[in-house]
Amino acid sequence: MTPAERVGAALSGARTDRRPFALTLSLYGSRLLGRGASGYYSDPAVYASGQRSVVDLCGPDIVFGPFAFALEAEAFGAVAERPPRSPPTVRRPAYGSPEDAEAVAPPDVEADPRLRYLVESVRAVAEDQRGRRPVAAPIVAPCDLPVLLLGMEAWIETILFEPRLAEAWWRVAAGHFAALGSAYFAAGASVLVMPVMLANPAILQPEMAERLVLPQLSEALSRLPGPVIFHHGGNRVAPQAGRFASLPNVGGLLVDERDSLAAVRRAVGPSVPILGNISGPHFSSRTAEDLSSRAERLINDREDDPRFILASSGADVPYETDPRTLVSVRRAMEELG
Amino acid sequence: MRDNKIGMRTSTAESDTVRLLYRYIIEAKRYDARRLLRDEVERSGYDETLQGVLEPTLSMIGERWAVDCISLAQGFVAGKVAEDFLDIREKPASGSARDASVRSDASQAYDASQASGIPRRIAVLGNVEDDFHSLGRSLVVSFLRLEGWTVVDLGNDVPAGAFADAAADSGASVIGASAMMLATARRAYDIRQELVRKGLSDSVMLALGGAAFSMKPELAGELGGDGTARNALEAPALFERLRLRSGRLATGPSR
Repeated sequence: MTPAERVGAALSGARTDRRPFALTLSLYGSRLLGRGASGYYSDPAVYASGQRSVVDLCGPDIVFGPFAFALEAEAFGAVAERPPRSPPTVRRPAYGSPEDAEAVAPPDVEADPRLRYLVESVRAVAEDQRGRRPVAAPIVAPCDLPVLLLGMEAWIETILFEPRLAEAWWRVAAGHFAALGSAYFAAGASVLVMPVMLANPAILQPEMAERLVLPQLSEALSRLPGPVIFHHGGNRVAPQAGRFASLPNVGGLLVDERDSLAAVRRAVGPSVPILGNISGPHFSSRTAEDLSSRAERLINDREDDPRFILASSGADVPYETDPRTLVSVRRAMEELG
Repeated sequence: MRDNKIGMRTSTAESDTVRLLYRYIIEAKRYDARRLLRDEVERSGYDETLQGVLEPTLSMIGERWAVDCISLAQGFVAGKVAEDFLDIREKPASGSARDASVRSDASQAYDASQASGIPRRIAVLGNVEDDFHSLGRSLVVSFLRLEGWTVVDLGNDVPAGAFADAAADSGASVIGASAMMLATARRAYDIRQELVRKGLSDSVMLALGGAAFSMKPELAGELGGDGTARNALEAPALFERLRLRSGRLATGPSR
């Protein structure tokens, strides 16, 4: 089976030659190229070359577009920082006040150099893979984009107490989300990966999320021409997994390392693919033996769950991670079958 | 001096008013909460409302927050309600006195402590250099002020030297520095270095908070901090412990 066939079979619940796996190694390509992260996040050809190196090293069944959300924020005017061994981060939000909503001019996906880089990187990776592996394109959730543009405090206050302003920000965020998401699919992305913070019970209790976030998120998702993996965004999702899986175009859930896979499966039913749940950011502090035994435990735990894909959870695998730990996961997957 | 109540279990039986205020906060009904507190102040007085209603309510919220039963948004609403309550005291008739009262500068803080003649509950707060995640800091400012602290709020993106300078100028016993990400959290070490360089290490304690420290509390010690708290409602108790440790004499600014 090719990786694409393997992933496709798993998503439909069919038999596979071995369990597919996906590691978020967007940043890690820059390490394998032996260069710092900064040039890597500006040249699509370099990015694609890094992902080719990732495939050569550990052969994941899914490859990723740039996991670099600060570039979306930068396109709106935020100040981003480019650390040498991390993805770009937002140093200063784009806007000083929620009142600025009406003045926001969403960036043109084709014209803005940051957005063009993101889309062209996905295209370069997809062309490189020629259909052999699915390409997942990370995208900022529309409910979280204002966090990058305004800051968390201002956005929570706006959502809770300023419905008129919140509506204006939703329009901006949903329009950008639909435009960038559509461009990713047109460039060859098979699926989008959308980390979601604001709908999570740790940030907003379910009753409020249901009233203030999920209707708008649902509407934005319905405008996409393809599927989305709902990413846990750094918090547990099991308590709301069923609700999240029911949103339009959600084709699977990527869950937190602390989530019980059995609980998530009970919540979403048998037909929704589940991905997870070894914490990506912890790869650098765990040994190869530890990671392969975690993979083994997860595979054994999900033995009767054909729609489970082993994946790293959370953010990118760190730059400092020993390549041997990544190889150990590949070996474990090959041996476990 | 009043004992710190926030974040500590209260022995006071939950009154109907406390339960109602708790419900308003949990449901993000900030304006109902403000109205209830204003009515209570008119009926019972400010101190009685603070000690009999608001503090027990915030204690309930703090207990649930500590076991992940409160969302970040609900904690945020609690902070806003605390801020509103302070406004009731400082500007009872209308409008918000937030900017004037919360963002008092160092000299105002020092004047206040001089006038009171009591050991200082003065704190300097800010987000470390390159950090713009103000939510946690804003909540801590509100909860500290509710506990009678004078807060010098330096805002976001504060250089290490500015923390130390403001502490020296204001006579603060505690600096509270917040950081969300690990990369920026490391700036906290620069604050410790500044305190050492200025000879303030024994008199000014360094409290570190924010997501970077919530996820890895031991990081606070590694970066030269004197303590951390799991959430904003636990911060006043931490600051009080650190103040008592600071050994600062009730004298003027050190320079």
